[in-house]
Formats: sequence, C-alpha cells, structure tokens
Amino acid sequence: MKVKIDKNKCYMSGECYYNHPELFKMDDEGYPIVLVDEINDDAMKKHALEAIEVCPAVALSLEE
Amino acid sequence: MSEATSMPPPLDPRVFDSEEFQKDPFPIYKQLRDHHPIYHDRFHNRWIISRYWDVDGAFQDNESFDRAMYKPDGPYDFGSRHVFGPNILEYGNSDEHRRLRNIVAGQFVGQKLQDFLPMIDQISEEVIDRFIDKGEVEIVSEFASQVPIRVISNMMALPREDEDTFVEWYQLLIAGLGFGGEHLTRGLQARNDMWDYIDPLIKERSKNPGEDLLSRICVAEIEGSRMTVEEVKGFISLLLAAGGDTTEKAIANMWYHLLYTRPDQLQDVIDNPALWENVFTEMMRYDPVVHAQFRYTTREIPLYNDVIPERAGVILYLGAGNRDERAFKDPDTFDIHRDDLHMGRENRSGRYKDGKNGHLGFGIGQHFCMGYAMARQESAIACSKLAERIKNPKGKMADHPGISSPNIDSGGFRSPQDLWMTFDK
Ligand code: HEM
Ligand code: SF4
Repeated sequence: MKVKIDKNKCYMSGECYYNHPELFKMDDEGYPIVLVDEINDDAMKKHALEAIEVCPAVALSLEE
Repeated sequence: MSEATSMPPPLDPRVFDSEEFQKDPFPIYKQLRDHHPIYHDRFHNRWIISRYWDVDGAFQDNESFDRAMYKPDGPYDFGSRHVFGPNILEYGNSDEHRRLRNIVAGQFVGQKLQDFLPMIDQISEEVIDRFIDKGEVEIVSEFASQVPIRVISNMMALPREDEDTFVEWYQLLIAGLGFGGEHLTRGLQARNDMWDYIDPLIKERSKNPGEDLLSRICVAEIEGSRMTVEEVKGFISLLLAAGGDTTEKAIANMWYHLLYTRPDQLQDVIDNPALWENVFTEMMRYDPVVHAQFRYTTREIPLYNDVIPERAGVILYLGAGNRDERAFKDPDTFDIHRDDLHMGRENRSGRYKDGKNGHLGFGIGQHFCMGYAMARQESAIACSKLAERIKNPKGKMADHPGISSPNIDSGGFRSPQDLWMTFDK
C-alpha cells in the first residue's frame, strides 16, 4: 500500500508531518513528502490512517 | 557581506530588563537583526535569534531546538515549575506531547469550532449589552477580558449562572502570574477556590461524560490510562491562560491600533467587517500578544560565524522576526491592507499557497498554537459585533501611553493597560 498526496487539495496545513514524522516530512515549499514508500507493517498503517483522518484538506489517501 | 565583517555596535544585555524595552522593544530588535543575528547574552546566560527566517527555521527544527525544560533522558517532576500544575507546555518533542495535543486539538478547529460560533455571537452581544447605554467603554476590563473566558467556560459546559464568579477567579489568577507579592497571594487563593469548585465537576464528568471539553479531558486516555485529577486541573488552567488571556489581549490590541495607530483604517473596517480578520492578522505581525518563545538546543548549532553550544537556552524573538525587512516591506507600518502578508488562517507549517509570508505570532511547527482558528474567529466576531452596535467610535484620551508588556519576569502578554473609547449609539 502507498500513501498518495493530492497536491491540489493540500494547503500545507502541516498537520500530517508534525503529527506523524515517522511517515512524512516537509519539502522546501511546505508540501509533505512520504518517507515510507511501501506501507506493509501495522504501525506504519496506523500512522497513515491517522494522518488521513487529521488532514483538514482531505488530501491524503491509501492506495493498493 | 559587510554586515558580518564590520564590528557590530555593542549591545548591553541589561537593556532587556529595562522599562524602555518592555514598552518599545522594536529599536532593540532592529539592532539585533542588523548587527547581532545571533546574540550571546552572557548576562542572562542565553542566546537570541531575531531574523524572520532564522526564527522560522528554529521553530521548524524541533530536533535541534527542543522546548522540553528537562533533559530528554533525565528525571523531571511534571508540574513542579508551573503555578498551574502539570501541563502540555512542559513537554518537548515527544510522543507524549503529540498524544496530549491530540486529545483537545480537534476541539478548536473545523466543524467543532463552527458549532461554537453562535455561542460566541451570543456571549459577545451579552457583554456589549452591559455597557452599550453608557456611550463609553473601557475596552480592556469591560469588553476584551470578558468574552474569551466566558467562551471557554461555555465550551467546558460550566453552569452559566456561575460565569461571573469564574471570570473573577480568572482575572485574579492572571494578575497573580506576573506581579508577585499581594497579587500572587490573591491569585493562589482564586486558584484554590476555582479548584474546589471544579473538583466535584471533574468527578461527575469522569463518571457521566458529556460532549463538552471538560468531559473530553476527563476521559481522555494516554497510554491506556486516564489523567489524574491534578493533570486534568493543569490542563484546564493552561486552557484558561493560553486561550483566555491571549485572546483577551488580542482583542484589546486590535482596538488600540485602530483607535490610535491607524484611525484612518478604522473607517475601512466599519464599512467592511470582513476586514476584522486583516486587523487580527496585521496585529499578530506588527506587535503580537506574545513576542518570544524559549527553546533548548539539543546539539551544537553553527550560525553566522558563531556556534550555540548544546543544551543552551535560546530565545526566539518572533516579535522581531515579524518586523524583519527581509520578510516584509515597510515592516514598521501598521497596514491592514498590506499585500505581502498572508491574511487568512494560519498554517502550522508557516507556508502558504499564495506564496506570501505569514506572521510568526502563533509559533510554527510542533508547538504551533492549538487555538489559532478559535482565537481568530473569536476576536473577529467579538470586534465586529461591537463595531456593528456603535457609531463614531473614538479613543477617549488624546494621547495614549501605548501597548506594553506587564513586567520583566512574566515574559508577558502585551496589551494596553486600559483603553477608553467613546461612541454614539
Ligand atoms: C491571539 C491569541 C493567542 C496567541 C497570541 C497565542 C500564542 C501562542 C504561541 C506563540 C504558542 C507557541 C508556543 C511554543 O512555540 O512553544 C501557542 C501555543 C499554544 N496555544 Fe496559543 N495563542 C493564542 C490563543 C490560544 C487559544 C484560544 C488556545 C486554546 C483554546 C490556545 C492554546 C494553546 C496551546 C494548548 C498551546 C501549546 C501547544 C503545544 O505545545 O503543542 N492558544 N500559542
Ligand atoms: S495534513 Fe493534509 S493539508 Fe496538511 S500538509 Fe498534510 S496533506 Fe497537506
């Protein structure tokens, strides 16, 4: 599974990378970069799901 | 780089304790930015950062600039350093901090906040009713300090008939924070009265939780267990101080600037109430309620030909960064129409799609203010309600001593001491 970011929707709230530094970091502009390419353990999946929930712009999703 | 090579004029660190600095720190900020972008204050044993991008960088880099008062690996007795008891402000960059934050962060944004707006409307109207027939108001004590605390006490679903008592305790408590002596004694007494009052409510809500903020804090679980009664109280006090006093000062400062700094722009705001958000934003840049945050370095930090050692205390002067010519044109002009400041809601990242720079008044990153959306909405609503109901508002005094920090040790929230306004109905 992979985390997808919709850059059009994302407004750089910062919530994903400040709440889940294990999975995201900020790029130079302020958009998130996904640090883990393939999500396969439960801990990382939990981070992904929580980040999806916390994103105020509904810009994150998980894809097979 | 002539800045770096020529000898900078000396800066006496005792100036930071002076009355002049409390009132008007901006010339010193400029001296810091221009000549000492990294300043080692040997007198107070701390370092100072003041340029916009350096303050931004330090806020973003929580790995290097940690807020924790304790050594990450050492023992620390939570609550020992705060009058208020244990609270989130004591935490640095850690999982515990993220968990604590997430218990309440959602309460002050999005739909939750939308649900509270009618209540903020109503409270503002009620507070205005109390003075509207007088033709004049002392904005700090009769208006600004009345609204935010009532809003928070409502969010916690405290009984409305006790609201006036609650406001009184809160004001004594806040006065007790900075001034010491007699104020401190009265502040501690108010705190104890407040705790006695809230104790049975905490027990009750822990058993039968409702949808309110207090219930939510009571039943929140951190690592599988609920907070102790002491921790719940610490959390509540923090919300009173961090959410009440700050927003109060914000409202007072907004009116101060319109009445005295830019009376010409007051009319613009009366004609177009949507501009209250701009007033809020420009106030948070020009002379924000909070000017400084403290961090400890977790490693050596090389910066401008100097090196901050590990475990050094560093002041991030966001109030100075906000006046940096490197980030804003004519930084010393208060202008609600400026086109180089991001005027809308703040982002925790400090980055915006419109490419403009944001103010630093809520901090950035890990510890970015949790009440940012609420403070903005509440200030804009309260101010626009007042403006709607009055005509011809004017500062009562020809001269005003201006905005100041309360005293040296409080690290204080900035506001005018008092602010009289006359108006027609
Ligand atoms: C205009 C009003 C306000 C100002 C100027 C303000 C300012 C700030 C600043 C500068 C910080 C950053 C602290 C740091 O970097 O260490 C902060 C954090 C915080 N603020 Fe505010 N604030 C305001 C309103 C509020 C409101 C309304 C609430 C709650 C209802 C609130 C709750 C908090 C909390 C809980 C934190 C700590 C966050 C953390 O450590 O993760 N603030 N605030
Ligand atoms: S939480 Fe959403 S809006 Fe915020 S930075 Fe991440 S993806 Fe963008």
